[in-house]
Amino acid sequence: MTPVAAPHWSARLARSGRQLGTLAGLVALCLLLWALTPFFLTTSNLLNVLEQTSINAIVAVGMTFVIISSGIDLSVGSIVALAGVILGSALQAGWPVPLAIAAALAVGTVCGLVNGVLITAGRLPPFIATLGMMSVARGLALMYAEGRPISGFAEPFRQLATGRVLGIPAPVLITAGLYVFAHFVLARTVFGRYTYAIGGNEEASRLSGIAVRPYKTAIYGVSGLMSAGAAVILTARLNSAQPTAGVMYELDAIAATVIGGTSLLGGEGTLVGALIGALIMGVLRNGLNLLGVSSFVQQVVIGVVIIGAVLIDTALKRRRA
Amino acid sequence: MRNPIRIQSAALRAIVLLLAGLAAVTAACNRVTQPASSGGRPRVAFVMKTLNHPFFLDMQRGAEDAAKRLDVDLVVQAAEREIDVEKQMQIIENLIQTGVQALCVTPSGSKEIASAIAKANRAKIPVVVADTRVDPKAAQDAQLTLASFIGSDNYEGGRLAGEHLVKVRQGKGTVAILEGIPGHETGDSRLRGFRDAVKASPGITIVASQPANWERDQGFTVFQNILQANPSLDAVFACNDLMALGAIEAIAAAGRTGKITVIGFDALEDARKAIAAGTMDASVAQSPREMGRMAVEAAVQVIKGGTPAAEQKVPIQLITKQSNQ
Repeated sequence: MTPVAAPHWSARLARSGRQLGTLAGLVALCLLLWALTPFFLTTSNLLNVLEQTSINAIVAVGMTFVIISSGIDLSVGSIVALAGVILGSALQAGWPVPLAIAAALAVGTVCGLVNGVLITAGRLPPFIATLGMMSVARGLALMYAEGRPISGFAEPFRQLATGRVLGIPAPVLITAGLYVFAHFVLARTVFGRYTYAIGGNEEASRLSGIAVRPYKTAIYGVSGLMSAGAAVILTARLNSAQPTAGVMYELDAIAATVIGGTSLLGGEGTLVGALIGALIMGVLRNGLNLLGVSSFVQQVVIGVVIIGAVLIDTALKRRRA
Repeated sequence: MRNPIRIQSAALRAIVLLLAGLAAVTAACNRVTQPASSGGRPRVAFVMKTLNHPFFLDMQRGAEDAAKRLDVDLVVQAAEREIDVEKQMQIIENLIQTGVQALCVTPSGSKEIASAIAKANRAKIPVVVADTRVDPKAAQDAQLTLASFIGSDNYEGGRLAGEHLVKVRQGKGTVAILEGIPGHETGDSRLRGFRDAVKASPGITIVASQPANWERDQGFTVFQNILQANPSLDAVFACNDLMALGAIEAIAAAGRTGKITVIGFDALEDARKAIAAGTMDASVAQSPREMGRMAVEAAVQVIKGGTPAAEQKVPIQLITKQSNQ
């Protein structure tokens, strides 16, 4: 990952303008909730929201890479479940915590790489390849755990969810660190540049000498790795690894990514946007809970926000064209 | 500015999100319970497994009846999907933030709920558990304090079902079981009760026991497959009525209506109709409404400084064509 020249200042301005809009949406939402309920704007609730958002935010990192490359990954939720039960059983078998986590991350990465190979070498559309993996990984998780949750872990591992540094929950710190690193990779390295290039125009990328196949495969590997990372936090948080965990995570991650301004057509998008998108979803859910709104209404609201955000994108693109 | 379109994009996006937020609030207005101004009324949160199952809707009704009678400010919430333990935990975390004085919960996962209850304990919010017991080991590991457990005796219910089956089939025949989501205390107890009751009759053999995850459509497909493998099956015990109703449709599709004894659990409205119509033999009735009522009453008792019984059993009974009339 060699650093490359930063993109032209005008492109960066354009991108931050877009992010500013999403950020303004988040701020408006927070102000609204602040006005409606005294319980929203408290330190403990804000930390609570950040902690709850961390899992979706981590999955959304991988999803952002994939979607920028003009792909899609439907298998993330199932990979969360599979990596989770591997982690859970390794911990219960007495493996040292770092080793157990490494095993889970490896399994997640392998699933992602298999997706990548199916898409590049097998020439399957990403939708189909990852749809298949969604079912395979879920089935493997259920088989491996014999359908049952694996629970009850020692305190050192649980610190990943319950631990606090200067009052900030560990999952929040881990997510923040991950975003800083992934943002650097996406914005400042060859791997990141190529991710945009492949998503923008795969044929042109190939003709200009980019080794598209290995890079694309690696992008899905990143998504699998991130899903496994989310599984680590989830397992620590619940003190349990469930083969049925992570259902619908793919849709939450896609939603966070597109609310954040990443185009499903590929070639554009940012991690900052994805993070804000994930926060908008987390804050919405939290706020609606605080207000005592039923989960049925919550689903409608989240759907409206997703559609609204993408409608704007599409409308603006048409005007620009 | 060099880039007017981008700036507009920013503004537009903000406006749309604001509008979406406003829409949410408008939709919410009728349901908002104003916590700060509840003035002396005790505030109780009830977090259920789901609100798209008749069982929990009945429980909600019972809880609301009790809340009205005892002048309690009650908030009922649930995750979108019954098995979503993480979402249930989030809801509990969020409700803790609103300073409720007691929490009633029907755990989505008997082990996973421990982390959420531990958070309530830390916030000094007493917790009443209903319907599904917290796994004893998980409770012990997390050093939980539970104010009370309100639940049906699921083991006893399974045993009633098993005894009835033995009686109907006169002590012989092949039986299939449709299980709930594996690893759930509720389903496991029903299974144990049923197996223990059937074990006493050597003429009865359990030829298949498969999970159909509490759902009607899965009950249908899983039972269809079981029928394929065991064409001469005599009876089925489903750990809930939705799966039993699915099985009844599979039986009808196979043209074997009336030949297979079907016993369910929960005595839902649809199941009672099926019993009256003769397509279902029996169902074990819980009283979710009673359960909701008792849970809120226990919560109020704790808020007022009392100590409810650590465990309260909700009555359970077998519904058959005779008893249904």
